[in-house]
Amino acid sequence: MRTQQEYLIRYKDGNLYCELADIWIDPSKPVKKALITHAHFDHFTFGCEEYISTKETAILLKERVGDNIKIKTFEYGEEFKINGINISFHPSGHILGSSQIRFIFAEEKWLISGDYKLQKDETCKQCEIVKTDYLISECTFGLPIFKWDETNKIANDISKWITNSPEKTSLLFCYSLGKAQRLLNEISQTNFKGNIYSHDSIHKMNNIYKKLGIDIKDTIKIENKKKIDELKGSLILLPPSLSKGSYLKNFKNIQTAFASGWMSIRALRKRSGYDKGFAISDHADWDGILEVVKKSEAKNVFFHHGDSEAISKYLVEKESINVLFFGK
Amino acid sequence: MSLKKFSELFVDLDSSNSTNNKIEVLKNYFFSNDPIDNSWAIYLLTGKSNKRFISGRYLKNLFSQIYEYPVWLIDTCYLKVGDSAEVITLLLKNKSTSRKKELSNISLNELLSKTIPYLSKLNEEEKNLQIKNIWERLPEDYHLIFNKILTGTFRVGVSIGLITKSISKLINIDEEIISHRLMGNFKPSIDSYEFLINKNINLEELNSKPFPFLLANTIEDKIFKNSINDFQFEWKYDGIRLQLIKRSGNVSLWTRGQELVNETFPELVEKMSHIKDDFVLDGELLVWNFKEQIAFDFSLLQKRINRKSPTRSIQIKYPIIFIAYDLLEINGRDIREIKLENRRIELEKYFSKWQNKTENNISDIFKICDLIFPNDWPDALTYKEKSRENNTEGLIIKKKTSIYSSGRKKGIWWKYKVDPMQLDAVLIYAKGGSGRRAGLYTDYSFALWKDEELIKFASAYSGLTNIEIKELDKWIRKNTIEKFGPVRSLKPEMVFEISFEKIQISKRHKSGIAVRFPRITKWRKDKKINDADSLENAYELMKKIL
Repeated sequence: MRTQQEYLIRYKDGNLYCELADIWIDPSKPVKKALITHAHFDHFTFGCEEYISTKETAILLKERVGDNIKIKTFEYGEEFKINGINISFHPSGHILGSSQIRFIFAEEKWLISGDYKLQKDETCKQCEIVKTDYLISECTFGLPIFKWDETNKIANDISKWITNSPEKTSLLFCYSLGKAQRLLNEISQTNFKGNIYSHDSIHKMNNIYKKLGIDIKDTIKIENKKKIDELKGSLILLPPSLSKGSYLKNFKNIQTAFASGWMSIRALRKRSGYDKGFAISDHADWDGILEVVKKSEAKNVFFHHGDSEAISKYLVEKESINVLFFGK
Repeated sequence: MSLKKFSELFVDLDSSNSTNNKIEVLKNYFFSNDPIDNSWAIYLLTGKSNKRFISGRYLKNLFSQIYEYPVWLIDTCYLKVGDSAEVITLLLKNKSTSRKKELSNISLNELLSKTIPYLSKLNEEEKNLQIKNIWERLPEDYHLIFNKILTGTFRVGVSIGLITKSISKLINIDEEIISHRLMGNFKPSIDSYEFLINKNINLEELNSKPFPFLLANTIEDKIFKNSINDFQFEWKYDGIRLQLIKRSGNVSLWTRGQELVNETFPELVEKMSHIKDDFVLDGELLVWNFKEQIAFDFSLLQKRINRKSPTRSIQIKYPIIFIAYDLLEINGRDIREIKLENRRIELEKYFSKWQNKTENNISDIFKICDLIFPNDWPDALTYKEKSRENNTEGLIIKKKTSIYSSGRKKGIWWKYKVDPMQLDAVLIYAKGGSGRRAGLYTDYSFALWKDEELIKFASAYSGLTNIEIKELDKWIRKNTIEKFGPVRSLKPEMVFEISFEKIQISKRHKSGIAVRFPRITKWRKDKKINDADSLENAYELMKKIL
């Protein structure tokens, strides 16, 4: 067995790093060269000298970091070379522009899954199964209690939740990039035909999605001083950061919900303080992770992002897959 | 009526934080379902069905065996979820079979009166097979309810009070009447539900209605400007506030929560029914130390509170007393409008009459509260400080000229509670919570200094806000020294102010002391661990009160 230092990709200072190419993947601090899997805040940082990503991720990144960053973009599947290593992006189905990153060096294939899901999502490309020798996978929901319902079932539940309380204003909290647009796309296919408002942070992302040709329903940007009657029976999408504090005082007679995979657990639902939880996630559930591990044909698997102990032990015991650990 | 409705009711109640909303949801449920299912719903929601058919452990093992799942994996899931019935429900989502959901139309009545009781008649093998069958034939949405009933853990945030309110709204009859009807051995049946919603009220029901309780306010400084002679002083007992009613020969015991507790304290009902007069008394129920003539700890009373029809030996082991402090009605005459000092005279007069004239001796279960006569306000303070000695919480101060109005009316009754005792202690262990707090470290152990060593002295669970709990949870995960199963030992760094009600010597604890009701009252981020208190400080605290 090789030592950590001998792997093509390893942890360095808590981040994934490829020494041979001197390149970092989703680094949490400024570096020279950073490959970015997708534009969620916990996957990039300000101040890197150069970013490399898909075209869509680059546009979202610029919205968040600023126009003046140096960023190189590649199409999905397009191979490029750094220090003799072949690198390519592949759709991961997490959000618009999200990717898995494959490295090929000396006939050895490595795949960094990034965040991914296999479930239906019309606002981004379907996750591609990529064959690899080494797989570095996320496992945010790496326990068998996580099993996602069909997306349209959740969308119908949300629709019912709103229409069952026509006298109320329904506030649905969700991440502003990805989840919000996926929900919009799904909810517009349900029986709910009322007005949908969105917070500025969500509204901005909606516009980028639309510019990039994603079909999502138009929403009204929410102003602080809306008449209460006008909002009755409508849906308002807000980022979770606004759920605590004084922002909610702008509204009267509300019901609140949070859309997140964690809401499948009753204790978390109760503790969250929202009236209702909708268990919808842009990450893979237990079966999803197992499917990707198996179909990738990886002989060696690493997990990061999440409680990896259980799923690692399970794969070793039940599937005889070699699960490796590397210290952070 | 299918289980579907009840399952929806459960989801609605579970996802609502508003009392009014819950009442509305319940009312609509009762309105649209048949009497038999309604009676079962009431039975379940009021927690009368806590019978455990199988244990959570059994359920987990069974699942493991049927679906070839490692037990350790189920246990890991449990740590995240905190409830066996829910873990299995979530895991079952992964195991859906193509079998026909033949049980999709099962009624609540059928599930509870046939399907589940039938399980207890089977041997283990048959039982396991039957549970598997039910899992596969029951629609996914009903699994949680089924598993929870099986494991006797069906609970949802609904009090008997909410049920009472919703029925009261449904048929437009006073809550007290419904409460009276709901009391006792509520057996699920069409008859019992029809009785509950009967619009005709009989005389006995009317007679048992209590008066609204008068509540005490926290002491205000301005009271000290008044003459001490304007007030009546009583000990503040730490028991259950009760109105004891006897009208037309029938005795009823009402708590402040509008709950009728006749069956919990049958010996009191029996004794009081021998008194010849009719009356309404306001007072406190306690478990009483007859030898020393003081109340036992509230923890002993707790042994009686949730136990209906207590056995004779329980009654002897935890002897109760009712201490009356007010007389509100006597032989049909409502005297709430006369002054407290005069009501007291009446109370004393009747009490001595009852003591002398009642056939059975009532003084072993009923007395009137002693009054305290401080000379001035500093003297009152001295009494208050002494209240720990007789297991009371402080003083109740009542204006002598006051009438008995309802609610927390200002300027009539005050509570003057003794301050809690406090020590600053260092967090040294944390353990995962269960239920609502699953997945978070919420059970904490605290230590005091003994020379250079930190010695554990108390565990506490309550007192932090949800935001603080989350913040501390994060810190705990980063600052763990060692894990022993669910427990983590932590880097000594965080100091908390721990308040408690009582401190005493204990040989069972390494620290040599035991405290009662420890709780976190402040996260002392301003303090370093060297600022925390020592065991010496704790011993001094003990000396002070002895």
